[in-house]
Amino acid sequence: MRGIVNFPAMWIDSSRLETALAGTQSPHESHDVEFVFPVGCKIMVDCAIRLLSLANQLITATHRVQLNFDEGEAGTMGYLNRMGFFDHLAPEVEVLPSRPLYSGAKLHRGNNSQLVEIARINKDARDIELPTRLTDAISHACSSRADVDQLKGAAWTIFAELIDNIFAHSETRLDGYAALQVYSGGNRLSVAVSDSGLGIMQTLRPAIRAEFPKLAKLSDVDLLVEVFRQGISRHGSDRGCGLKGCAAKAIKFNATLDVRLPNQRVLLKPARGAYEPNRAYCSEGLALIWGTHITFAFGLGT
Amino acid sequence: MNEMVATKLSLRAFMDHSEGWGRSQGREVYQRLLRFVEENPGTTVFQISMEGVRRLDISFASETIVELARRYRRSKGFCLVDLHDPDMIENIDAAGEKKEQPLLVWHGQSASLLGLKPTGGTREAFQFSMGRTQSRASELAVQKSLSIANASMKFKQLWEQGFLLRREGTAESGGVEFVYRRIG
Repeated sequence: MRGIVNFPAMWIDSSRLETALAGTQSPHESHDVEFVFPVGCKIMVDCAIRLLSLANQLITATHRVQLNFDEGEAGTMGYLNRMGFFDHLAPEVEVLPSRPLYSGAKLHRGNNSQLVEIARINKDARDIELPTRLTDAISHACSSRADVDQLKGAAWTIFAELIDNIFAHSETRLDGYAALQVYSGGNRLSVAVSDSGLGIMQTLRPAIRAEFPKLAKLSDVDLLVEVFRQGISRHGSDRGCGLKGCAAKAIKFNATLDVRLPNQRVLLKPARGAYEPNRAYCSEGLALIWGTHITFAFGLGT
Repeated sequence: MNEMVATKLSLRAFMDHSEGWGRSQGREVYQRLLRFVEENPGTTVFQISMEGVRRLDISFASETIVELARRYRRSKGFCLVDLHDPDMIENIDAAGEKKEQPLLVWHGQSASLLGLKPTGGTREAFQFSMGRTQSRASELAVQKSLSIANASMKFKQLWEQGFLLRREGTAESGGVEFVYRRIG
Protein backbone atom coordinates (compact mmCIF):
# COMPACT_ATOMS: atom_id res chain seq x y z
CA MET A 1 0.00 0.00 0.00
CA ARG A 2 1.35 3.44 -0.97
CA GLY A 3 0.95 6.49 1.25
CA ILE A 4 1.58 10.04 0.05
CA VAL A 5 2.16 12.77 2.64
CA ASN A 6 1.56 16.14 0.99
CA PHE A 7 2.87 19.17 2.86
CA PRO A 8 1.31 22.60 2.21
CA ALA A 9 3.36 25.46 0.69
CA MET A 10 4.04 27.23 4.00
CA TRP A 11 6.08 26.93 7.22
CA ILE A 12 5.58 23.43 8.60
CA ASP A 13 5.46 23.25 12.37
CA SER A 14 4.55 20.22 14.46
CA SER A 15 0.80 20.82 14.11
CA ARG A 16 1.00 21.03 10.32
CA LEU A 17 3.17 17.92 10.27
CA GLU A 18 0.37 16.04 12.04
CA THR A 19 -2.25 17.42 9.68
CA ALA A 20 -0.19 16.26 6.70
CA LEU A 21 0.37 12.81 8.21
CA ALA A 22 -3.35 12.49 8.94
CA GLY A 23 -4.17 13.16 5.29
CA THR A 24 -3.08 9.72 4.15
CA GLN A 25 -2.57 6.18 5.34
CA SER A 26 -0.28 6.04 8.38
CA PRO A 27 3.32 5.73 7.08
CA HIS A 28 4.11 2.76 9.33
CA GLU A 29 1.12 0.96 7.72
CA SER A 30 2.26 1.75 4.19
CA HIS A 31 4.92 -0.29 2.40
CA ASP A 32 5.79 2.62 0.19
CA VAL A 33 5.72 6.19 1.55
CA GLU A 34 6.28 9.41 -0.37
CA PHE A 35 6.68 12.80 1.32
CA VAL A 36 6.04 15.70 -1.07
CA PHE A 37 7.48 19.17 -0.35
CA PRO A 38 6.00 21.74 -2.77
CA VAL A 39 7.56 25.06 -3.74
CA GLY A 40 7.24 27.45 -0.79
CA CYS A 41 7.18 24.70 1.84
CA LYS A 42 9.58 25.33 4.74
CA ILE A 43 10.27 22.86 7.51
CA MET A 44 10.83 24.09 11.06
CA VAL A 45 13.63 22.46 12.97
CA ASP A 46 11.56 20.45 15.47
CA CYS A 47 9.49 19.14 12.61
CA ALA A 48 12.66 18.29 10.65
CA ILE A 49 14.04 16.00 13.35
CA ARG A 50 10.66 14.29 13.79
CA LEU A 51 10.56 13.66 10.05
CA LEU A 52 14.14 12.42 10.10
CA SER A 53 13.32 9.99 12.90
CA LEU A 54 10.19 8.80 11.08
CA ALA A 55 11.97 8.26 7.75
CA ASN A 56 14.75 6.26 9.42
CA GLN A 57 12.21 4.23 11.38
CA LEU A 58 10.39 3.33 8.17
CA ILE A 59 13.63 2.15 6.57
CA THR A 60 14.39 0.01 9.63
CA ALA A 61 10.94 -1.53 9.21
CA THR A 62 11.86 -2.27 5.55
CA HIS A 63 9.45 0.23 3.99
CA ARG A 64 10.29 2.16 0.85
CA VAL A 65 10.63 5.89 1.51
CA GLN A 66 10.85 8.75 -0.95
CA LEU A 67 11.30 12.46 -0.22
CA ASN A 68 10.24 14.60 -3.14
CA PHE A 69 11.42 18.23 -3.09
CA ASP A 70 9.67 20.16 -5.90
CA GLU A 71 11.93 23.19 -5.44
CA GLY A 72 15.16 21.19 -5.32
CA GLU A 73 18.10 22.62 -3.46
CA ALA A 74 16.84 26.18 -3.96
CA GLY A 75 14.09 25.50 -1.42
CA THR A 76 13.61 23.67 1.85
CA MET A 77 15.91 20.88 0.70
CA GLY A 78 18.84 23.31 0.74
CA TYR A 79 17.87 24.48 4.20
CA LEU A 80 17.64 20.88 5.45
CA ASN A 81 20.99 20.12 3.82
CA ARG A 82 22.68 22.94 5.69
CA MET A 83 21.27 21.57 8.94
CA GLY A 84 22.79 18.17 8.17
CA PHE A 85 19.46 16.43 7.58
CA PHE A 86 20.81 14.32 4.72
CA ASP A 87 23.96 13.38 6.67
CA HIS A 88 21.72 11.53 9.12
CA LEU A 89 19.07 10.27 6.70
CA ALA A 90 19.26 6.52 6.06
CA PRO A 91 20.95 5.93 2.66
CA GLU A 92 18.03 3.75 1.55
CA VAL A 93 15.72 6.80 1.51
CA GLU A 94 15.24 8.01 -2.08
CA VAL A 95 15.54 11.76 -2.52
CA LEU A 96 14.09 13.60 -5.53
CA PRO A 97 15.29 15.33 -7.63
CA SER A 98 18.49 13.84 -6.16
CA ARG A 99 20.46 13.75 -2.94
CA PRO A 100 22.60 16.85 -2.45
CA LEU A 101 26.05 16.36 -3.99
CA TYR A 102 27.72 17.70 -0.90
CA SER A 103 26.75 18.12 2.73
CA GLY A 104 25.84 21.74 3.37
CA ALA A 105 26.41 21.20 7.08
CA LYS A 106 29.97 19.97 6.54
CA LEU A 107 30.72 22.70 4.01
CA HIS A 108 29.42 25.56 6.12
CA ARG A 109 30.38 24.19 9.52
CA GLY A 110 31.61 27.05 11.67
CA ASN A 111 30.97 29.69 9.03
CA ASN A 112 27.48 30.66 9.99
CA SER A 113 27.08 31.02 13.71
CA GLN A 114 23.29 31.27 13.56
CA LEU A 115 22.72 28.07 11.63
CA VAL A 116 22.41 25.09 13.86
CA GLU A 117 23.11 21.59 12.72
CA ILE A 118 21.08 18.57 13.63
CA ALA A 119 23.11 16.58 16.15
CA ARG A 120 23.03 12.82 16.46
CA ILE A 121 22.41 11.21 19.85
CA ASN A 122 23.83 7.73 20.21
CA LYS A 123 24.51 6.22 23.60
CA ASP A 124 27.46 4.20 22.27
CA ALA A 125 29.15 7.32 20.94
CA ARG A 126 28.44 9.96 23.56
CA ASP A 127 29.39 13.47 22.60
CA ILE A 128 30.22 15.25 25.82
CA GLU A 129 30.30 18.68 24.16
CA LEU A 130 26.89 18.35 22.54
CA PRO A 131 24.73 20.49 24.88
CA THR A 132 27.35 23.25 24.76
CA ARG A 133 27.68 23.18 20.98
CA LEU A 134 23.93 23.30 20.51
CA THR A 135 23.59 26.13 22.98
CA ASP A 136 26.45 28.25 21.64
CA ALA A 137 24.25 29.46 18.78
CA ILE A 138 22.20 31.41 21.32
CA SER A 139 25.24 33.59 22.11
CA HIS A 140 25.34 34.78 18.51
CA ALA A 141 21.65 34.93 17.68
CA CYS A 142 20.51 36.54 20.94
CA SER A 143 23.62 38.52 21.87
CA SER A 144 21.68 41.79 22.21
CA ARG A 145 19.30 40.36 24.79
CA ALA A 146 19.93 41.27 28.41
CA ASP A 147 18.93 37.76 29.48
CA VAL A 148 21.17 35.90 27.02
CA ASP A 149 23.08 34.12 29.80
CA GLN A 150 19.90 32.90 31.51
CA LEU A 151 18.60 31.74 28.16
CA LYS A 152 21.80 29.81 27.46
CA GLY A 153 21.75 28.28 30.93
CA ALA A 154 18.14 27.16 30.51
CA ALA A 155 18.69 25.70 27.02
CA TRP A 156 21.89 23.92 28.13
CA THR A 157 20.16 22.23 31.06
CA ILE A 158 17.20 21.24 28.88
CA PHE A 159 19.48 19.65 26.28
CA ALA A 160 21.62 17.92 28.90
CA GLU A 161 18.61 16.43 30.67
CA LEU A 162 16.70 15.42 27.53
CA ILE A 163 19.75 13.86 25.87
CA ASP A 164 20.62 11.96 29.04
CA ASN A 165 17.03 10.81 29.21
CA ILE A 166 17.43 9.24 25.78
CA PHE A 167 20.60 7.45 26.91
CA ALA A 168 18.86 6.17 29.99
CA HIS A 169 15.37 5.31 28.82
CA SER A 170 14.80 4.95 25.14
CA GLU A 171 16.35 1.48 24.68
CA THR A 172 16.84 1.80 20.96
CA ARG A 173 19.52 1.12 18.42
CA LEU A 174 18.24 3.92 16.21
CA ASP A 175 19.89 7.29 16.68
CA GLY A 176 18.10 10.16 18.36
CA TYR A 177 18.49 13.78 17.25
CA ALA A 178 18.72 17.21 18.84
CA ALA A 179 18.51 20.65 17.28
CA LEU A 180 18.09 24.28 18.23
CA GLN A 181 16.96 27.14 16.06
CA VAL A 182 16.46 30.82 16.64
CA TYR A 183 13.74 32.37 14.45
CA SER A 184 12.24 35.78 13.84
CA GLY A 185 15.34 37.83 14.46
CA GLY A 186 16.02 36.26 17.82
CA ASN A 187 12.48 36.40 19.15
CA ARG A 188 11.62 32.73 18.92
CA LEU A 189 13.75 29.82 20.02
CA SER A 190 13.05 26.12 19.53
CA VAL A 191 14.90 23.49 21.54
CA ALA A 192 14.03 20.04 20.21
CA VAL A 193 15.02 16.46 20.92
CA SER A 194 13.71 13.35 19.20
CA ASP A 195 14.26 9.64 19.79
CA SER A 196 12.94 6.47 18.18
CA GLY A 197 12.90 4.25 21.23
CA LEU A 198 10.12 3.27 23.57
CA GLY A 199 7.67 6.08 24.26
CA ILE A 200 7.82 7.69 27.69
CA MET A 201 4.47 6.10 28.63
CA GLN A 202 5.62 2.63 27.66
CA THR A 203 8.52 2.83 30.10
CA LEU A 204 6.66 4.67 32.83
CA ARG A 205 3.29 2.93 32.95
CA PRO A 206 4.47 -0.53 34.13
CA ALA A 207 6.61 0.99 36.90
CA ILE A 208 4.09 3.42 38.35
CA ARG A 209 1.53 0.70 39.04
CA ALA A 210 3.82 -0.52 41.79
CA GLU A 211 5.54 2.74 42.79
CA PHE A 212 2.77 5.33 42.54
CA PRO A 213 -0.62 3.53 42.48
CA LYS A 214 -2.59 6.81 42.66
CA LEU A 215 -0.93 8.08 39.50
CA ALA A 216 -1.65 4.84 37.67
CA LYS A 217 -5.29 5.90 37.31
CA LEU A 218 -4.41 9.09 35.42
CA SER A 219 -4.90 9.40 31.68
CA ASP A 220 -1.76 9.60 29.53
CA VAL A 221 -2.14 13.37 29.20
CA ASP A 222 -2.57 13.96 32.93
CA LEU A 223 0.31 11.62 33.70
CA LEU A 224 2.54 13.41 31.23
CA VAL A 225 1.74 16.74 32.86
CA GLU A 226 2.73 15.25 36.22
CA VAL A 227 6.02 13.97 34.75
CA PHE A 228 6.97 17.56 33.99
CA ARG A 229 5.30 19.08 37.04
CA GLN A 230 6.18 16.70 39.90
CA GLY A 231 9.03 14.74 38.36
CA ILE A 232 8.02 11.08 38.13
CA SER A 233 10.44 8.33 37.26
CA ARG A 234 10.19 4.58 36.86
CA HIS A 235 13.31 4.41 39.04
CA GLY A 236 11.56 5.64 42.18
CA SER A 237 10.47 8.73 44.03
CA ASP A 238 13.93 10.31 44.38
CA ARG A 239 14.43 10.37 40.60
CA GLY A 240 12.64 12.22 37.81
CA CYS A 241 14.02 15.63 38.68
CA GLY A 242 15.47 16.10 35.17
CA LEU A 243 12.27 16.61 33.20
CA LYS A 244 10.73 18.59 36.05
CA GLY A 245 13.80 20.82 36.07
CA CYS A 246 13.60 21.32 32.29
CA ALA A 247 10.01 22.46 32.66
CA ALA A 248 10.91 24.83 35.50
CA LYS A 249 13.59 26.48 33.35
CA ALA A 250 11.34 26.75 30.29
CA ILE A 251 8.42 28.19 32.22
CA LYS A 252 10.53 31.18 33.25
CA PHE A 253 10.60 32.10 29.57
CA ASN A 254 6.92 31.28 29.12
CA ALA A 255 7.84 28.45 26.74
CA THR A 256 5.29 26.04 25.36
CA LEU A 257 6.10 22.36 25.63
CA ASP A 258 5.20 19.96 22.84
CA VAL A 259 5.52 16.22 23.47
CA ARG A 260 4.87 13.73 20.67
CA LEU A 261 4.29 10.15 21.82
CA PRO A 262 3.84 7.19 19.45
CA ASN A 263 0.16 7.99 18.78
CA GLN A 264 -0.51 11.15 20.79
CA ARG A 265 0.66 14.70 20.95
CA VAL A 266 0.36 16.94 23.98
CA LEU A 267 0.87 20.69 23.84
CA LEU A 268 1.33 22.35 27.22
CA LYS A 269 0.98 26.08 27.61
CA PRO A 270 2.22 27.65 30.82
CA ALA A 271 -0.27 29.28 33.16
CA ARG A 272 0.54 30.95 36.49
CA GLY A 273 4.13 29.77 36.30
CA ALA A 274 3.35 26.10 35.78
CA TYR A 275 2.20 23.50 33.28
CA GLU A 276 -1.27 22.40 34.33
CA PRO A 277 -3.64 19.73 33.03
CA ASN A 278 -6.33 22.31 32.14
CA ARG A 279 -3.87 24.01 29.79
CA ALA A 280 -2.89 20.79 28.03
CA TYR A 281 -4.07 20.31 24.47
CA CYS A 282 -4.08 16.72 23.39
CA SER A 283 -4.41 15.03 20.00
CA GLU A 284 -4.94 11.28 20.03
CA GLY A 285 -5.08 8.53 17.44
CA LEU A 286 -2.23 10.06 15.43
CA ALA A 287 -0.10 8.30 12.83
CA LEU A 288 2.46 6.08 14.52
CA ILE A 289 5.91 7.56 15.11
CA TRP A 290 8.05 5.50 17.49
CA GLY A 291 9.68 7.15 20.45
CA THR A 292 9.36 10.46 22.27
CA HIS A 293 9.80 13.83 20.61
CA ILE A 294 10.01 16.92 22.78
CA THR A 295 10.13 20.59 21.81
CA PHE A 296 10.33 23.61 24.05
CA ALA A 297 9.34 26.74 22.09
CA PHE A 298 10.45 29.96 23.74
CA GLY A 299 8.51 33.02 22.63
CA LEU A 300 11.06 35.60 23.71
CA GLY A 301 9.34 38.83 22.77
CA THR A 302 11.55 41.84 22.22
CA MET B 1 32.15 29.16 59.41
CA ASN B 2 33.08 26.78 62.22
CA GLU B 3 36.43 26.98 63.91
CA MET B 4 36.59 23.27 63.24
CA VAL B 5 38.86 22.46 60.32
CA ALA B 6 37.00 21.29 57.24
CA THR B 7 38.61 19.58 54.29
CA LYS B 8 38.25 21.36 50.97
CA LEU B 9 37.31 19.21 48.03
CA SER B 10 37.56 20.63 44.53
CA LEU B 11 34.78 19.05 42.48
CA ARG B 12 36.49 20.03 39.22
CA ALA B 13 39.50 17.87 40.12
CA PHE B 14 37.24 14.81 40.09
CA MET B 15 35.56 15.67 36.78
CA ASP B 16 36.88 14.94 33.29
CA HIS B 17 35.38 18.15 31.91
CA SER B 18 34.35 21.54 33.26
CA GLU B 19 30.72 20.72 32.42
CA GLY B 20 28.99 17.85 34.16
CA TRP B 21 25.77 16.40 32.83
CA GLY B 22 23.90 13.13 32.87
CA ARG B 23 23.54 10.33 35.36
CA SER B 24 26.22 8.01 34.01
CA GLN B 25 28.90 10.71 34.05
CA GLY B 26 27.70 11.64 37.52
CA ARG B 27 28.03 8.07 38.77
CA GLU B 28 31.64 7.88 37.58
CA VAL B 29 32.50 11.11 39.37
CA TYR B 30 30.62 9.93 42.46
CA GLN B 31 32.86 6.87 42.77
CA ARG B 32 35.94 9.10 42.72
CA LEU B 33 34.43 11.41 45.34
CA LEU B 34 33.53 8.44 47.48
CA ARG B 35 37.10 7.17 47.37
CA PHE B 36 38.39 10.58 48.45
CA VAL B 37 35.98 10.74 51.38
CA GLU B 38 36.89 7.21 52.46
CA GLU B 39 40.57 8.13 52.30
CA ASN B 40 39.91 10.93 54.80
CA PRO B 41 38.18 9.09 57.63
CA GLY B 42 39.02 11.74 60.22
CA THR B 43 37.24 14.52 58.34
CA THR B 44 33.64 15.17 59.28
CA VAL B 45 33.02 18.28 57.16
CA PHE B 46 33.91 18.63 53.49
CA GLN B 47 33.68 21.98 51.73
CA ILE B 48 32.99 21.23 48.09
CA SER B 49 34.52 23.99 45.99
CA MET B 50 32.78 24.66 42.70
CA GLU B 51 35.63 26.70 41.30
CA GLY B 52 36.41 25.75 37.72
CA VAL B 53 33.06 23.99 37.23
CA ARG B 54 31.34 25.75 34.36
CA ARG B 55 28.01 24.00 34.34
CA LEU B 56 26.13 21.18 36.05
CA ASP B 57 22.77 19.75 35.14
CA ILE B 58 20.27 18.44 37.68
CA SER B 59 20.95 14.74 37.07
CA PHE B 60 24.72 15.18 37.50
CA ALA B 61 24.25 17.20 40.69
CA SER B 62 21.87 14.53 41.98
CA GLU B 63 24.32 11.68 41.36
CA THR B 64 27.37 13.48 42.80
CA ILE B 65 27.09 16.22 45.44
CA VAL B 66 23.58 15.40 46.61
CA GLU B 67 24.11 11.63 46.70
CA LEU B 68 27.35 12.04 48.65
CA ALA B 69 25.66 14.27 51.26
CA ARG B 70 22.77 11.85 51.51
CA ARG B 71 24.98 8.81 51.92
CA TYR B 72 26.90 10.31 54.84
CA ARG B 73 23.96 12.10 56.45
CA ARG B 74 24.29 12.05 60.28
CA SER B 75 27.99 11.17 60.21
CA LYS B 76 29.67 13.65 57.83
CA GLY B 77 28.60 17.00 56.45
CA PHE B 78 29.05 18.49 52.98
CA CYS B 79 28.64 22.13 52.10
CA LEU B 80 29.37 24.18 48.98
CA VAL B 81 31.71 27.11 48.43
CA ASP B 82 32.73 29.18 45.38
CA LEU B 83 29.27 28.77 43.89
CA HIS B 84 27.85 31.83 42.14
CA ASP B 85 26.24 30.69 38.89
CA PRO B 86 22.43 31.03 39.19
CA ASP B 87 21.76 28.02 36.94
CA MET B 88 24.06 25.75 38.93
CA ILE B 89 22.47 26.96 42.16
CA GLU B 90 19.02 26.26 40.76
CA ASN B 91 20.01 22.81 39.47
CA ILE B 92 21.62 21.71 42.75
CA ASP B 93 18.57 23.05 44.59
CA ALA B 94 16.23 20.98 42.38
CA ALA B 95 18.35 17.84 42.85
CA GLY B 96 18.51 18.32 46.62
CA GLU B 97 14.80 18.90 46.86
CA LYS B 98 14.01 15.70 44.97
CA LYS B 99 16.33 13.62 47.16
CA GLU B 100 15.19 15.47 50.28
CA GLN B 101 18.75 16.49 51.08
CA PRO B 102 19.66 19.96 52.37
CA LEU B 103 22.93 21.62 51.31
CA LEU B 104 24.41 24.86 52.59
CA VAL B 105 26.20 27.24 50.24
CA TRP B 106 28.67 29.46 52.10
CA HIS B 107 29.52 32.96 50.94
CA GLY B 108 32.12 34.07 53.48
CA GLN B 109 30.37 34.18 56.84
CA SER B 110 26.83 33.84 55.51
CA ALA B 111 25.11 30.83 54.04
CA SER B 112 22.07 30.03 51.94
CA LEU B 113 20.21 26.75 51.95
CA LEU B 114 19.57 24.60 48.88
CA GLY B 115 17.48 21.44 48.56
CA LEU B 116 15.31 20.32 51.45
CA LYS B 117 14.03 23.11 53.67
CA PRO B 118 13.22 22.75 57.38
CA THR B 119 9.58 22.21 58.29
CA GLY B 120 7.55 24.85 60.13
CA GLY B 121 8.26 23.08 63.40
CA THR B 122 12.04 23.01 63.02
CA ARG B 123 12.68 26.25 61.11
CA GLU B 124 13.27 28.29 64.24
CA ALA B 125 15.69 25.72 65.65
CA PHE B 126 17.58 25.63 62.36
CA GLN B 127 17.89 29.41 62.28
CA PHE B 128 19.11 29.34 65.87
CA SER B 129 21.77 26.76 65.04
CA MET B 130 22.93 28.74 61.99
CA GLY B 131 23.66 31.75 64.21
CA ARG B 132 26.42 29.95 66.14
CA THR B 133 29.05 27.32 65.44
CA GLN B 134 27.54 24.86 67.89
CA SER B 135 24.30 24.60 69.83
CA ARG B 136 22.77 22.58 72.63
CA ALA B 137 19.11 21.83 73.22
CA SER B 138 19.33 23.49 76.62
CA GLU B 139 20.40 26.77 74.96
CA LEU B 140 17.59 26.65 72.42
CA ALA B 141 15.10 25.84 75.18
CA VAL B 142 16.13 28.92 77.18
CA GLN B 143 16.25 31.28 74.19
CA LYS B 144 12.92 30.21 72.69
CA SER B 145 11.07 29.28 75.90
CA LEU B 146 10.73 25.63 74.97
CA SER B 147 10.95 22.53 77.11
CA ILE B 148 14.34 20.81 76.84
CA ALA B 149 12.60 17.71 75.50
CA ASN B 150 10.96 19.74 72.73
CA ALA B 151 14.16 21.59 71.83
CA SER B 152 16.04 18.31 71.85
CA MET B 153 13.49 16.70 69.54
CA LYS B 154 13.77 19.56 67.04
CA PHE B 155 17.55 19.34 66.90
CA LYS B 156 17.40 15.57 66.58
CA GLN B 157 15.04 15.87 63.64
CA LEU B 158 17.33 18.41 61.94
CA TRP B 159 20.27 16.07 62.47
CA GLU B 160 18.38 13.09 61.04
CA GLN B 161 17.37 15.07 57.97
CA GLY B 162 20.93 16.21 57.26
CA PHE B 163 20.72 19.87 58.33
CA LEU B 164 23.12 19.51 61.26
CA LEU B 165 25.89 17.29 62.60
CA ARG B 166 26.19 16.27 66.24
CA ARG B 167 28.59 14.79 68.75
CA GLU B 168 28.26 13.73 72.34
CA GLY B 169 29.22 16.34 74.92
CA THR B 170 28.99 16.69 78.67
CA ALA B 171 26.06 18.54 80.16
CA GLU B 172 26.46 20.90 83.12
CA SER B 173 24.76 18.23 85.22
CA GLY B 174 27.55 15.83 84.26
CA GLY B 175 25.37 13.68 81.99
CA VAL B 176 25.62 13.21 78.26
CA GLU B 177 24.27 15.98 76.07
CA PHE B 178 24.42 16.24 72.30
CA VAL B 179 26.23 19.20 70.83
CA TYR B 180 24.81 20.12 67.41
CA ARG B 181 26.88 21.80 64.75
CA ARG B 182 25.99 23.61 61.56
CA ILE B 183 27.67 22.26 58.44
CA GLY B 184 30.37 24.54 57.14
